[in-house]
Amino acid sequence: MHRYVIKRILLLIPVIIGVSFMIYFIMDLAPGDIITQLVGEDASEEQIAALQHEYGYDRSVFYRYGKYMLGLLHGDLGTSYITKKPVWDMYITRLPKTFWLAIGASVVAIGLSIPLGIVSAVKSGSLIDNSCMVLALLGLSMPNFWLGLLLIIEFSLNLGWVPSGGFRGFSSVILPAITIGTGHMAVMTRTTRSSMIDVIRQDYLRTARAKGVSEHKVITKHAFRNAFIPILTIIGGQLCAGIGGAVITESVFSWPGVGRLIIDYVHQRDVPVVTGSIIMTTIITGVIHLAVDLLYAVVDPRIKGKYSRKGLRLAPRVKTKRGAA
Amino acid sequence: MENKNDLILEVDHLTVNYELEDETVEAVRDVSFKLGRGKTLGLVGETGAGKTTTALSILNLIPDPPGVIKGGTIKLDGENVLEKTIKEMSRIRGKEVSMIFQDPMTSLNPVFTVGDQIAEAIMIHEKLDKKAAFEKAQEMLQIVGIPGERAAEYPHQFSGGMKQRVVIAIALACNPQLLIADEPTTALDVTIQAQVLDLMKELKKKYGMAMILITHDLGIIAETCDDVAVMYAGKIIERGSLEEVFNTARHPYTEGLFNSLPNIAERKERLKPIPGLMPDPTKLPKGCAFAPRCPYAKPSCIDVMPEERHFGGTHYCSCNAYDDESFHLEREDIVL
Repeated sequence: MHRYVIKRILLLIPVIIGVSFMIYFIMDLAPGDIITQLVGEDASEEQIAALQHEYGYDRSVFYRYGKYMLGLLHGDLGTSYITKKPVWDMYITRLPKTFWLAIGASVVAIGLSIPLGIVSAVKSGSLIDNSCMVLALLGLSMPNFWLGLLLIIEFSLNLGWVPSGGFRGFSSVILPAITIGTGHMAVMTRTTRSSMIDVIRQDYLRTARAKGVSEHKVITKHAFRNAFIPILTIIGGQLCAGIGGAVITESVFSWPGVGRLIIDYVHQRDVPVVTGSIIMTTIITGVIHLAVDLLYAVVDPRIKGKYSRKGLRLAPRVKTKRGAA
Repeated sequence: MENKNDLILEVDHLTVNYELEDETVEAVRDVSFKLGRGKTLGLVGETGAGKTTTALSILNLIPDPPGVIKGGTIKLDGENVLEKTIKEMSRIRGKEVSMIFQDPMTSLNPVFTVGDQIAEAIMIHEKLDKKAAFEKAQEMLQIVGIPGERAAEYPHQFSGGMKQRVVIAIALACNPQLLIADEPTTALDVTIQAQVLDLMKELKKKYGMAMILITHDLGIIAETCDDVAVMYAGKIIERGSLEEVFNTARHPYTEGLFNSLPNIAERKERLKPIPGLMPDPTKLPKGCAFAPRCPYAKPSCIDVMPEERHFGGTHYCSCNAYDDESFHLEREDIVL
């Protein structure tokens, strides 16, 4: 198990190199650079040349990338061209807000989709099933910015229950979390439903019923635990997407999260901020996926064996043979 | 005939259909049989004859939809289980009646330890706390020949025969009065089959429970059962004690079953299978369902539903051929 975890963490290194390389080059290919952002239109040639030298723009992109990566090796995510602050500080002040939003959205999505998905699967083909699927489709097709605006109009402007934007404690998380959560809910409901439908036909549920387990427990305990793995995958993926920042929703709610940090500094061609933030997102994504993979083994003991070096233990310890054998 | 109080199970005119969108499968048609306390009934028949459906009806576990119990009564200990509420039913399942299923590979929940799966039945029916139930589960494992400390392991860590032992342990955990074993050895290899059968016989004797053994293996029936019922296309076409059915088979289908067994003494002899296939259960003939395959059939058999006739003792058979009093099967009165 430890070997598996270490291996997975080491595998993050090539991923980080690849991601940062791509960001650096795409930013370089994009029209405009930080120099044009920093100087006015009437700047002299000398001023421009001095700035270009300062930021390394008089040399190739490989030089700048190499220099950045050398810093990263020492744990330095770089310094913003514009604010002159360390990228780490800028990122870490934004992260908790994005984190709370991602958690909030997941809570909304899980809270709605798992009951809906289970009911749909159990009553598959019924009116309830169809209604749930329509609801899920509605959640999927409703654009986030539109739903966000509707929610603001009703609950902030008309009713005044919650703030319309910004980060002011728990109440301000509610609307953006619902906005993102309903989108996630759609996918998760469908996954829960199809996964449960697969499991509901299994023989072991009949065994459970035959020993007197109540129908409610057959579904929520025996069936759901087996149906949970695909759902867990979706939860992990959506949590990662949330940590990466929900740019549109963050914009609608003026949410000071990571998504807006990245998009604002992309516009200003502040390469270190963008690269550093995305590297952080990559690391967190990798860790969440690793956690999800480890949780698989908790949910389904058959998977546990695959993480150990010895593989599945097919010959269990049998010391004595007793009884009618 | 047995006294009413000696009967653990009395099935009367049971009819079960699977109602699909555009057709109806008549899985069980007007089935009646009785089972005495502590006795073993062998339910024989081809795949699709309605054996499993009959068994599931006793636990009221027919998958609904599409399964519908159309009529009849199933009296367990004198009480009709078809009139029980869901709650009453779950008290009966696992406590009064237990069932062992055909495929041990898929009968156990892969995400719970075998100990927990046995303990669950005990917790439901005997109101023990988790720890006491788990200890009893370990005892049950030892009874079926598995070391108690393996209770903490998961089903994938057991072999097929071991899994079937676990399934038996679950079924017997609360000392049921009736055990239904639905082809308990079909999915196991021959050496393990014998072990599991011996184990079941031994435990049946120990706990004095009645058993319905569903199988298509006549050898297993001969070894284990007191009574036999032969099913064909949803009907019981012949029933009686083991001796009655095996020694003086009356129905042409039963005769066909015996004839299709390989004869070890005459190895050069070819097998004599019953020609043809069982009829489509959605389009059963008006009369005898076996008539199209029956070597003795007359044209009228297709249209006339045979009545159940009494042949002395507990022996019953449904066949039109006995309208002619001089009729007898070619194979008759074989002493095993």
